[in-house]
Amino acid sequence: MAERVHIDLGDIQGDILRAYGNDYDCTSYAFVKIDCPPEQARAWFSGLLEHVTTAEPWKEGKPVTTLNVAVTADGLKALGVSDEVVGSFSEEFRAGMSERAVLLGDVGPSAPKSWESGLGSGDAHILLTINAQETADHEHALGKMRDAMDDAGGLSIVYQEDTQLLPGSREHFGYADGFAQPAIEGSSDSKARGGGVPLKNGAWRALAPGEFILGYPDEDTREDPKRRLPSAPLAPLGKSGTYMVWRKLYQDVARWRRVMRDAAKLYEDGDEHKLSAKVVGRWSDGTPLVTHPDALDPNFDAAGRGANDFRYDSDLDGMRCPLGAHIRRSNPRDALGFEGHLSFRHRMIRRGMPYGEELAEGVVKDDGVDRGLVFVCFQASIARQFEGVQVQWLNTGNLFGLGLDTDFILGDPGGKGKMTIQGRPPFFLSPQEVFVKTRGGEYLFVPGISALAALADGTAG
Amino acid sequence: MSARAPSAGPVTATGTASHNVHGQAIAITVFSTVKWWGKPILPALFAVTKRVPKLTDTLVQLSFIHFARWSLVKQIPYNGPPQSKRKLRYTHMYFESNFNGGWEEYIDAFSQILTDGMAAFWGSSYGFPKALPTAPFKKYIQNNEIEASHYYSAYPEATITMVKAALDVDAKLAALKRNAAKMEPEAFAAAYERFLTDAQRSL
Amino acid sequence: MSSQDNVNGQAYGFQSMTPIEPGKEGELRAYLEGLDIDDSPFGKLPRTHMGRFVIVKDFYNDPSWGQKEEHLDLQYLIFTSNLDGDIDSYLDELCEVMAPEAREIWGRCVGCPENPKGAALKAYLKHNQIDCGFFYAAYGTATVPEVKAALRQRDQMIAFATRSQGLSPDELQEAFAAEFGA
Repeated sequence: MAERVHIDLGDIQGDILRAYGNDYDCTSYAFVKIDCPPEQARAWFSGLLEHVTTAEPWKEGKPVTTLNVAVTADGLKALGVSDEVVGSFSEEFRAGMSERAVLLGDVGPSAPKSWESGLGSGDAHILLTINAQETADHEHALGKMRDAMDDAGGLSIVYQEDTQLLPGSREHFGYADGFAQPAIEGSSDSKARGGGVPLKNGAWRALAPGEFILGYPDEDTREDPKRRLPSAPLAPLGKSGTYMVWRKLYQDVARWRRVMRDAAKLYEDGDEHKLSAKVVGRWSDGTPLVTHPDALDPNFDAAGRGANDFRYDSDLDGMRCPLGAHIRRSNPRDALGFEGHLSFRHRMIRRGMPYGEELAEGVVKDDGVDRGLVFVCFQASIARQFEGVQVQWLNTGNLFGLGLDTDFILGDPGGKGKMTIQGRPPFFLSPQEVFVKTRGGEYLFVPGISALAALADGTAG
Repeated sequence: MSARAPSAGPVTATGTASHNVHGQAIAITVFSTVKWWGKPILPALFAVTKRVPKLTDTLVQLSFIHFARWSLVKQIPYNGPPQSKRKLRYTHMYFESNFNGGWEEYIDAFSQILTDGMAAFWGSSYGFPKALPTAPFKKYIQNNEIEASHYYSAYPEATITMVKAALDVDAKLAALKRNAAKMEPEAFAAAYERFLTDAQRSL
Repeated sequence: MSSQDNVNGQAYGFQSMTPIEPGKEGELRAYLEGLDIDDSPFGKLPRTHMGRFVIVKDFYNDPSWGQKEEHLDLQYLIFTSNLDGDIDSYLDELCEVMAPEAREIWGRCVGCPENPKGAALKAYLKHNQIDCGFFYAAYGTATVPEVKAALRQRDQMIAFATRSQGLSPDELQEAFAAEFGA
């Protein structure tokens, strides 16, 4: 029905279609504020462009470091983009993440007034993301960035987060993370089994690229005889771009371990490893609960083909993988019926990285160290994809028949929440203390390569 | 769209004006103008839908809606001047729904899953694009939608699935409550466990 | 179209469409929008599941749709209620307990009785009633008090089930009796 889509990789920035996290251990995020006139800012901005990596496959082996550039709505204005063009970007992007705090559930300890200085205050304009293998390499690259900023004048880094992969690609609660990604037509078709849209006959298909990259047909275009493309910012900025969500999430590892250890004493069906797996939907090595409900698979390879190839149709009552488990909430696959049509337009490309030192195994007393996850995702629509999942699937349980229950792993600021773990009999897991706190975040736009050039030379309109 | 602090529970009533929201409940109100051939067809459609429960199976399964109605305004009742005595040229169809879970998600579901149902009910209305693709359909609903000035739910903190779950728990708990005192502790514990297992989808 | 179409289980769908006095549209809208939803006049009618007031300014006309334009002569106030049981007794109750609000609301509509309450107001509302074509109810057999009691009980059951995990059968039975009076 649809013609084969050809994706112009040279015009899209890197790390979106293919994860750099597989190639680099360290990622630095530096938020730059522009305090000088737009022409001056654009001159500095132009200097970045030759270093920006594209989505083209590397012909000469991987670069020592990679650079990607994203812009906030305030950043577009600081670069001199007209109000008319800025107005063509999505409403939520223009409002900014801190404005959407009540909607996102960033209340109580996660409220913007407690955020890191520099985030959510309108001061973050340009985000520089640098991937490197060694800390020395990204420090060197950042050093050069800082020199260039000093030379230009009127530019400063208002917030920086340095992140590093943990052993086993785990996140701080101990779970292998980041390997389940959407399968995109024309880019990662081979990942369709498990990563795409679940079809009736057990088959899968990849998702239209326009769900993630602007200027391409999305799932709605598929149904349109006029083949209209999804709405995007005015040319030349829209094409090959994507919206980015950046979110620093503090993880209270000691509290998580304590609560799970204590709750497991009452859990008759297994130990705290099993109970934790029930909350997440996977064992800590990544083995899906739905295929391995009693024990992890010693041969499971998170990065291997088929690692992500599973469905929930044989577990509609949640006896294997609870209905409210984190991965089931954030990507329901076929669990909601209707050939995945209640969930297929809410997928995200995730590129987050853990930050901060690990808390030694077995320690249940907090050491005051800042650690957690820098959550990063890319999508064509922040409102439909990121916010849709956060608001309708994580912050509440209605669609899964779980009332107002929030995703257990995020926590409940009111402290009164619980998670029903289906079983014979069911187990009610509580207390749902606050395990994750938002420490700051931004909504950004990742322009395509020609769009970056237009921003740099002031022809973006 | 506004996201004001909720009177009940997490913010989920997104994508619509604030006066359409009470806690978890959202009001949608739509008027459409019906083509001449819709005049006889729609009452027949309504009658068939009432008599054949299977036709609303998907609607029930989706569990988005508490109450909804379609009514036809053929003539507006007359109350004297300055109201006009002029007869309406067209029949107009009024639709309202009380639902949960976000305006965008609601219209998406109607577009993608209840596609045929949408065609049946709105196919005879002027301007109705097909239900798929979604974008023009959403635009059509937006243009024809009217914001409420005041909207009320007697139980704003509850979604439809919560109401159904609560009624389910009530039915199952009744038997346990009736027999509890008469049982030996071991027997009661076993009966209680059976109740929890049986009712867990509602708890 | 018979009034049976307004019924689903024991639930009833009432709708009235009344013309608004020219010049009073703004004040009516301001009044309705100013009502506190957590202290709604509907709250005085405990048989109401859900209700709304909507002001219709005009029909939506789009020349590209190939229809002849049709405009409303005046702005109209739509009042709908999804309620339990018999409509006549519901309207009797409404016309009594909502009399103060009725003055502000229907008191601004054409043809409304001088003193908008009691039988006169009821007659006015029934005169302007629009019957449902199709009325859908997800749980048409449950009344408002039944729904509210069930919701409270569900919360109570969840709290009980959560805190009584690990109790011995004796303790469990005792706790259950204390909680549910069984």
